[in-house]
Amino acid sequence: MSHRVVVTGLGAVTPVGAGKEEVWDHLLAGQSGFAPVESFDTGKFSTHLGAEVRGFDPAPWVRTLDPARLGRASQLAVAAARMALEDAGIAPGEVSPERAGVAMGTTSGEPREVEKFNDRFLAGAAGSVGAEFITLYPCHMIAAHVARELGLAGVCTMIPTACAAGNYAIAHGLDLLRRGRADVMLAGGADAFSRITYSGFHRLGAIAPERCQPFDKNRKGMIPGEGAAILVLEPLERARARGARIYAEVAGYGLSCDAHHMTAAHPEGDGAARAMEGALGDAGLKPEDVSYVSAHGTGTPTNDRLETLAVLRVFGDAAPRTPMSSVKSMIGHTMGAASAIEALVCSLAVATGWIPPTMNLEEPDGDLDYVPNQARRHDVRVAMNNAYAFGGNNASVIFRRVEA
Amino acid sequence: MRRVVITGTGALAPIADSPAGLHAALREGRSALKSIELFPLDALNWNGINHGNGVNPSRLAGEVRPFEPREYLGDRNLRPVDRTARLLLVAAQQALEGSGWTAEMRAAREVGLVLGTMFCSVRTIAEFDRRAVQLGPSYASPLDFANSVINAAAGQAAIWNNLRGINSTITGGEASGLLALAYAMDLIGHGRAEAVLAGGAEELCFESYLGHERAGRLGERPIPFDAQRDGFALAEGAAALMLESAEGAAARGARVLATLRGHGETFDPSAGEDEGAAAEAVARAVHLALEDAEVEPQDLDLLVLSANGSVQGDRAEARGVAQALGPRAADIPVVAPKAQLGEALGASGAFQALTALGAFDEGVVPGVTGLEATEEGFPLGGVSSSTRRLDRRPRLALLHAASTDGQCCAVVVEAA
Repeated sequence: MSHRVVVTGLGAVTPVGAGKEEVWDHLLAGQSGFAPVESFDTGKFSTHLGAEVRGFDPAPWVRTLDPARLGRASQLAVAAARMALEDAGIAPGEVSPERAGVAMGTTSGEPREVEKFNDRFLAGAAGSVGAEFITLYPCHMIAAHVARELGLAGVCTMIPTACAAGNYAIAHGLDLLRRGRADVMLAGGADAFSRITYSGFHRLGAIAPERCQPFDKNRKGMIPGEGAAILVLEPLERARARGARIYAEVAGYGLSCDAHHMTAAHPEGDGAARAMEGALGDAGLKPEDVSYVSAHGTGTPTNDRLETLAVLRVFGDAAPRTPMSSVKSMIGHTMGAASAIEALVCSLAVATGWIPPTMNLEEPDGDLDYVPNQARRHDVRVAMNNAYAFGGNNASVIFRRVEA
Repeated sequence: MRRVVITGTGALAPIADSPAGLHAALREGRSALKSIELFPLDALNWNGINHGNGVNPSRLAGEVRPFEPREYLGDRNLRPVDRTARLLLVAAQQALEGSGWTAEMRAAREVGLVLGTMFCSVRTIAEFDRRAVQLGPSYASPLDFANSVINAAAGQAAIWNNLRGINSTITGGEASGLLALAYAMDLIGHGRAEAVLAGGAEELCFESYLGHERAGRLGERPIPFDAQRDGFALAEGAAALMLESAEGAAARGARVLATLRGHGETFDPSAGEDEGAAAEAVARAVHLALEDAEVEPQDLDLLVLSANGSVQGDRAEARGVAQALGPRAADIPVVAPKAQLGEALGASGAFQALTALGAFDEGVVPGVTGLEATEEGFPLGGVSSSTRRLDRRPRLALLHAASTDGQCCAVVVEAA
């Protein structure tokens, strides 16, 4: 028994807006979400830009639970989940709660809770740390909060595989639905902006001072961000039976590990290539079938070079004519949410026939078609979503148009 | 679905540094719980914490102590690897060696790794932040940052052992370890991987300890199912199981220790607030696992449960399991290894799996050490405070774990 699985709902809270319409309009318009960091003082840092979600009010979304008892990543995730369910046209109670599950990815979970802990600790007041540290901080609370808020009683899985985690969660959702372990899965990723993440990438010299320029010769790094995105996944026959709008089919995935270095990718892009090949094999597709690649494309010198190398290795002659863009040029690197947001991008690229651009691209560093600076109309039958992470984790997920 | 077998095991626990040692300690009723030495609890004004602020200096915990990683791991550079990952490396090495997956084989073929953990290392994350805040961002440690991600231990173990297959980390509080086992089982069962090292790891640290203390989860009498229980005792450790397809294991002539038969996962949306809903979620997970394994309750020989002394959690687990097993609940032997091991969070589920394997081997069911009396109406008849030898060796075991936050996972394991 193996069901075909489709995307029927999209929800997202990102640095360029919330909800699929706003996010998509802004990405196609090449709008970016970078601004001086507000959530902590960057006075001692040499960079000051971030991609924060501004003006987010959890209250309209977190209704069953008390928003104050959720960490920020959980709040963002719950908002994305409600948007996605609404977009899918699934009313509460329409799905049997036991058959509806959640799979979420993250890099850091709720790092702000560690910061609060430390602020008290360093002020000599660790004694004032309360129960909230253990009820808010552990990252599985993101998936648990989504399931609690929406009353979902099926599988509840948290997969913290860093910056590829959104893809891991979608892949897990796909497997569960293929095997009939659930009727509906909410799958995606969430991460909160934090001084911890910012300090780390700053120390690695990985943060760009002014703008994010993936695949440009003069690229100076990534820009940390935050957000959440969730896809509603369900079996094709179920989606058809209820007359749901289908964005795309989740056709397959591939995962691999470099086993090479914690923070640096394999020098020949070995693991990245194996993940892409695995995804193509799982989907029963050839490289030339792929019409669009959503790149990991962080904007760091190493990542982008190796990603181009890996795509060349897998796609061969088809590589230069396969458009590949990075929305991180606009929304920054939203960590565990990144590949989930990019899965939304792939779903919409398949559904609408538009590809978002790689912004700030002046001198391409490689011979691929990076879709510079302008959205493009393109018949996207198959989209590949690539994500790479600390720990040497690589994840590729393929989205395919479902013929009527 | 391909049959998935266990071909190697490894364990580093507070009372043992091998699976055989773990079995012996459990059988003999030895307790892992000692006074805490990994961080100072009794310093009255240590950073503002004192007895009056709710930290109880008499608390016991299960520490892996003394722990000299070099005794196990040789002279490779351990500096980039934090405590959680070091614990995991020891268990992983044993499981790889025991299963016969040599370095040459791992170079030729992809082996995956799925780790269950609750925090990976909240100590590393917190120390990274404290250093950056106190000394300024340019003094932040790149090494600690690399280990601040929650998949750091899994990534480090992959590098250490050249595991180039699927590498994933699963978090679900006290259920993490079993969730990881179930996830890894499916990767092999559905043909996505040939061999996956699956397990759990957790370190004991001040951050985790203080958090659990303040949340009121720790107890003076951390005895599973005891009527006077009042919370759990924290512990640490790591355990790993080498999983592979039955065909793969047979083809290379590997010794099969056990078979993973099936699993089920559920969530309790009340997160334990509604005892009926909590028990219901447990019962559903057990049902799903039995269904997946094509096993009836009367076929089961052994239960290995996650009860840890928590007042509500233990009750919901006993009730839910009993609900799912019907009449079999009255007499099936029950092990609650946390009576001796403490609550090792992400590592616990993997310890539960090793507990079952030990019972298969020896036909001996460790008692719930310290148990005096269960609550009135306690629904599981096979709980005993002392170790028992069964008439025949158990063949089918049901493992169950639930997190305080509502995730439930059940796994059926069969003796080889």
